[in-house]
Amino acid sequence: MADDAGNLSIDFLAGFTIFMITFIYVATLIPGLFIGLQSSSIDYDAVAYRTGVVLTEDPGMPYNPSWESPSVADSQILRFGLALSKDTPNILSYEKINRFFCTTEFVYPQDYQSRAVFGDYPYLFNISLQMAGSNVTQSVGDVLPEDYGYSRRVIKVKEHSNATLDFSNCNLLSCPSPLAQYALTGSQAGNATIQAFSLYFNYADLLDNGPANNNPAYQINPLSPSGTGQITGGEGVLVNLTGLGSLPQDNNTRVNLSSISVYRSVSLAPLGTGQSPFEGPVLNATNPSQFELFIDGTPVTTLPQPVTNNATLFIPPGLLSFLGQGDSSTLLNVTMQFSLTNVTTGNPQPDRYLNTTQVAPYGAFQYNYTNPNITQPYLQNGVMEVAVW
Amino acid sequence: MVNDRGQLYTIEGIAAGMIMLFTTYLVLGATSVYTPGDSHISDMQLEQTGTDALQMMNTPANGTSESQLQQIVENNEGNTFNTVFLDYVNNKTGSKADNLHYTASVTYYDILNKTTVTLPPFAFNRNLSGVEHPVRVTELVIANKQFPGGSGTPRAVLVEVLLWRD
Repeated sequence: MADDAGNLSIDFLAGFTIFMITFIYVATLIPGLFIGLQSSSIDYDAVAYRTGVVLTEDPGMPYNPSWESPSVADSQILRFGLALSKDTPNILSYEKINRFFCTTEFVYPQDYQSRAVFGDYPYLFNISLQMAGSNVTQSVGDVLPEDYGYSRRVIKVKEHSNATLDFSNCNLLSCPSPLAQYALTGSQAGNATIQAFSLYFNYADLLDNGPANNNPAYQINPLSPSGTGQITGGEGVLVNLTGLGSLPQDNNTRVNLSSISVYRSVSLAPLGTGQSPFEGPVLNATNPSQFELFIDGTPVTTLPQPVTNNATLFIPPGLLSFLGQGDSSTLLNVTMQFSLTNVTTGNPQPDRYLNTTQVAPYGAFQYNYTNPNITQPYLQNGVMEVAVW
Repeated sequence: MVNDRGQLYTIEGIAAGMIMLFTTYLVLGATSVYTPGDSHISDMQLEQTGTDALQMMNTPANGTSESQLQQIVENNEGNTFNTVFLDYVNNKTGSKADNLHYTASVTYYDILNKTTVTLPPFAFNRNLSGVEHPVRVTELVIANKQFPGGSGTPRAVLVEVLLWRD
């Protein structure tokens, strides 16, 4: 009789096999169970939040001179940050936005990954910004996928100051106040054949006496971001002279804008009027390539040029800082000189025109916080979205 | 005598095992684990938007004027708040706007009676019925206005907004 002790039964084999298969299966299943916990969207949301904070609450690096300055090379930029300063979160700088979204300068995605998104993982992203009431969206990045981390920030953007002087309500005899002081009237008119319109900047006054406790958000800042010796960032200034056709009293007067000169005084307060107390001119431009000049709506690069109705002078960001040598005690006089001639004979012809020489106390249009003809810096609403995947 | 009633035989055992494993696989695969952290994310995004909106409403547009939120509190302009606040929180960079709901109220400290008083909501675009899951965002506003229990101006009051998405 056969002894079957010590035999392996087929039941045992089957049972053990099933047990082993199940065991291996469960063992491989357990790590997969936690995939739901390590949700990628949580990570993406955190990165989107961080990127949003870096962009809206940080002024970026380097700070002085600031990274948006043309003098700072791409390779020197360590971190993008669009905030005006570290004390003004959510208030962004116009120049920083423009340089950030310049996709011809920076390459998506690597230039932005290392300066705004950060992290070891090469995240893809889309960052977009839109001003309220505008349908133009500035953006950088890819088309959004189905699933992505998201952060939305409500922002404001600082708009620079500008001066607008509209002389179209001037008649043959007079000009309405406060424009009257910038144009010679009555007996004063009729003698001068060369007339000048000067802008006067007192850097110390602009930098120290800004509104709302000198809050950078509302400051006219000719030096920001500071930098010396070369054209760096800084704010631009726009001067818009319109309705000039109403000024000359004689129809035969022809007006030419003959030059734009810049006079500077550093650490010395000139008490007299006009240009005499100043050094200079430090810039006597009959080829005003450093400025942006528009006469009657057309961009102009050479002087003299005939002026009919409008002259717009834009002192681009950085030029004021450059002209002021980065010194906060600078006093600057920018003078536009006009020559008046007879349209038929070509001889000098005295007539009434723009003239600031008699304006107290500096013989110039003062570019400051109290001049009623200046639109002070203001904040525009907008929204910024960051999507990361 | 050995009775084999009620026994599971080998082949049936394998089949049953397969069925059980397959069922487990189906059940586990169909469930996604929803962690508390996930709901926290959307709350945080909503809080961020609300806080930003209130902060920007409390930032004057230029250096000499009062902020919009300050004017709204001083003159109790619920309609203006409704328009401006919804503009801020719903605007997106794309063409499709968001759709958020809120109620807003003002809280001040009654100095005389030493109590905190919350006024009834001065602006809302939907009533809270209790089933919503709102987040709370606040902003301190300095208002040139007298509130009960104190004679001096300016007064610091708290604008509190409950914000939710449905």
